[in-house]
Amino acid sequence: MIPTILLQTSTDAALSKTQGVTPRTFWLPEGASTIAPELDWVFNFINYINYFFFFLVVGIMCYFAWRYRQRGREVYARGPNHHTVLEVGWTVLPTLIVVVIFFMGFKGFVSAKTAPENAYQIDVTALKWAWKFKYPNGAQSDDLYVPAGRPVKLVMRSEDVLHSLYIRDFRVKQDVVPGRYSSLWFQADNPTGKNEKGEDNFHHLFCTEFCGTFHSNMNRKVFVLSQDEFDGWLGEQARWLDKIDDSELWWKAGPKLFVACKTCHTLDGSVGTGPSWGNYDGTGNIWERTKSGSTHKIDGGKNLGDIIGPGKEHETPDGYLRESILNPGKHLVDPYGNVMPTFKGQLSDRGIQALIDMMKNLDKFNKDGTVKPEAIPQTAGGAAGVAAK
Amino acid sequence: MTTLDSRPIATEAKDNYLTFTRGILSWIFTLDHKRIGVMYLFAVLSSFFVGGVMALLVRTKLLFPGKVDWMTEDAYNKAFTLHGAIMVFLVIIPSIPAALGNFVLPIMLGAKDVAFPRLNLFSFYLWVMGAICAVYSLMAGGFDTGWTFYTPYSSQFAAGGTIPVLVGVFILGFSSIFTGVNFIVTIHKLRPPGMTWFRMPLFLWALYATALIQILATPVLGITVALLVVERAFNIGIFDPSMGGDPVLFQHFFWFYSHPAVYIMILPGMGIISELISVHSHRHIFGFRFIAFSSIAIAIFSFLVWGHHMFTSGQSPLMNVLFSAITFSVAIPSAVKVFNWLATLYKGSIALNTPMLYALSFMFLFTIGGLTGIPLAVLSTDIHLHDTYFVVAHFHYVMMGSALIAMIGGLHHWWPKMFGVMYSEFWGKIACALVFIGFNMTFFTQFMLGSQGMPRRYYAYQPEFQIYHHISTGGSYIMAIGFLITAMYLLHSLFAGKKAPANPWGGASLEWQCTSPPPHDNFSTTPRVGDCYDFSAVRWDEKEQGYVIDTEAHISAAASGKGH
Repeated sequence: MIPTILLQTSTDAALSKTQGVTPRTFWLPEGASTIAPELDWVFNFINYINYFFFFLVVGIMCYFAWRYRQRGREVYARGPNHHTVLEVGWTVLPTLIVVVIFFMGFKGFVSAKTAPENAYQIDVTALKWAWKFKYPNGAQSDDLYVPAGRPVKLVMRSEDVLHSLYIRDFRVKQDVVPGRYSSLWFQADNPTGKNEKGEDNFHHLFCTEFCGTFHSNMNRKVFVLSQDEFDGWLGEQARWLDKIDDSELWWKAGPKLFVACKTCHTLDGSVGTGPSWGNYDGTGNIWERTKSGSTHKIDGGKNLGDIIGPGKEHETPDGYLRESILNPGKHLVDPYGNVMPTFKGQLSDRGIQALIDMMKNLDKFNKDGTVKPEAIPQTAGGAAGVAAK
Repeated sequence: MTTLDSRPIATEAKDNYLTFTRGILSWIFTLDHKRIGVMYLFAVLSSFFVGGVMALLVRTKLLFPGKVDWMTEDAYNKAFTLHGAIMVFLVIIPSIPAALGNFVLPIMLGAKDVAFPRLNLFSFYLWVMGAICAVYSLMAGGFDTGWTFYTPYSSQFAAGGTIPVLVGVFILGFSSIFTGVNFIVTIHKLRPPGMTWFRMPLFLWALYATALIQILATPVLGITVALLVVERAFNIGIFDPSMGGDPVLFQHFFWFYSHPAVYIMILPGMGIISELISVHSHRHIFGFRFIAFSSIAIAIFSFLVWGHHMFTSGQSPLMNVLFSAITFSVAIPSAVKVFNWLATLYKGSIALNTPMLYALSFMFLFTIGGLTGIPLAVLSTDIHLHDTYFVVAHFHYVMMGSALIAMIGGLHHWWPKMFGVMYSEFWGKIACALVFIGFNMTFFTQFMLGSQGMPRRYYAYQPEFQIYHHISTGGSYIMAIGFLITAMYLLHSLFAGKKAPANPWGGASLEWQCTSPPPHDNFSTTPRVGDCYDFSAVRWDEKEQGYVIDTEAHISAAASGKGH
């Protein structure tokens, strides 16, 4: 009775037939990677051994407890105290069994650990409490998209504490450790596709290393797309900036791009590796002080105003800010050194525009770089959630 | 054959250890191992109650897949952390050695006390100080790291009560070390004439093996939490990579203690089961030497397998392979014990008293707990199962279903000896059945949850897992009722229980040869040692309403090797 309830799955069972992945069973979830069938076989094999020994031990125990139950108060029971052959036997037999089991697990482990040479690499960043996936062409996503029928290698790093990436249907798991790179690989042959209602199917991706308050929210979806679909999606994703209206760049694109800046630049005036975008030393926020050009010193005592203005090195403050992103070493704000890498080739013109627009509207952002919900233009309507995230 | 010889060795003194001196101070400053054992018992059971309430809170939250109003994420994280830390450090580790062991070990051995009575009392007060630190940490903001204190979360981010609880763990470690030192010296030095190593009850072998682990492994825990406190308090980078440390190093340190600690928890339980099965089957234990040496083997292997907690941590694949291989070696002595217990039942005269029901429960649950360790030791399947509910279910079967059930079985076994009263067998059996059923409902479903991929330490979960959580939580309530009934009939027996005979079960080891409760100094004359698993001289005595042992026959049987 219980097994039927437990076996029910919402949509997976029906779909698994069409997808050709191994279906969900009493013990295991559906298997959707190339290593899943072998691993499941080992798991089931151990299970059958376990059933055998469990019923053997408990069966004998119950039989003896009944057969040799105490009768009356006469207590002394005579039985053998030891039997060397028997005892050596049941020491050696389990030894042989576990040696076999060890080698089965060893074999599966080696194949699961060694990524093929031609694996498609995706960079993964884990942070409290989100996953960021970055693809070779610069596209980024919050959920994981992978091409079908091709080995995929995830190269992972953590920004804060230990996390662990676990895709249960692929049977892969690897801790993500701050201060070092870890990796795992898998190959999923079947696209996840859509269910009857037209919604996208997906595999669960969980964080399995406790990482604080919202640990259990740190799960995402994994979509497997056919190579064509995947290429299409990847192109779209890389052009995400182009799809945002100019007037909305500052709050839709700005915060996403600022993630790369915020390791060095704060928004609240506090000291970072680079000058804060916020108001520090009472000089106004980055847009105000650049526009006025007078209050802050650069290059060892020069005035910012000396290089910004009609006929000077930069006609407008925007031009100076643009130069600072693409060629950060040219002018240095006192007393900061030449530390910032160039973003030439990494940021498109629209990307730079989005950041400068964000600077112009700095009072509408929280200090963590997210836009204040009340600052989002009303016309944006229901799309507000995109940037707020 | 009820002669004077078959009477308990100690005279029917009016004074027993409970009435020997009176007043609260006579307890606070007592050096009597029995009183210290009783105080430990009270402390451990109180902690068990608190830890159990935390577990019920966690289970109740998990009835619902999403957010609940009455428990935030942080509160949930603190609750499961507190549950784990209390149960491990305050309950299971000290439960059998420090509570039951303290009471039983010297009497079973035939000694008047442990070797260092003052150290024994000091160890108890260290436990109390450790517990106070844990309580203080709750007032200082609690702690939400999980009982494993993984860095850098614990060193940089966790809630404010983390340092106090780490100090508590440090102190509790010394409490555990002192108990271990005491037991080792006692067993080496205070054995009466005739109590050779192979005459020594298996419970004492198990406590000896446990004590070895306690004194060798626990210092590493002390060092580890001290380093963690230093990192957290003074920002000295040891484990935090942002300060040049290595978080995986912490895991090595932590498990170098905590894996042997698993055997600190289970080995004494196995020792109790050896006693219970033999005494309640009224049958010589089968394969004494195999069981005795398997305890030592487990103690040695326990130091070599810590890396199997870290198969996904990023340690080198070669180490994973080695640790996996060595881990299987632990399976063998465990299996040997189970087979020997089974063989002890063969042709026994099995009395299904409450302690025996717990012993049989232990065998059932430990078999599951042990066998489910296999897919966790296998490299490829562990990748899938690691940090899921499968692990949670596995270690609850071993830590609670085995270690704690053994402790409760032992408590029922020695309760008449400790307090001189009998509890209600009827309610004892009912409660045992409830605990057994509730336990399996709670934790067997968690195997399925885990193998289906539900991660542990999750506040919110996918709706597909809800049915399992409902069964699991229902089981935990049944278990709680079982434990409440146990508490009630045991307390009731203290006030209204029938007076216990010296030997209610027919045991032949020395503790059954002194009165119940034992006199202050255990034995008025040096006890004479026979084979404690030879029941040929044990008879039921209608007048005593208990068993008596014909000492002369018992000793001579041992001397002639008849009982062996």
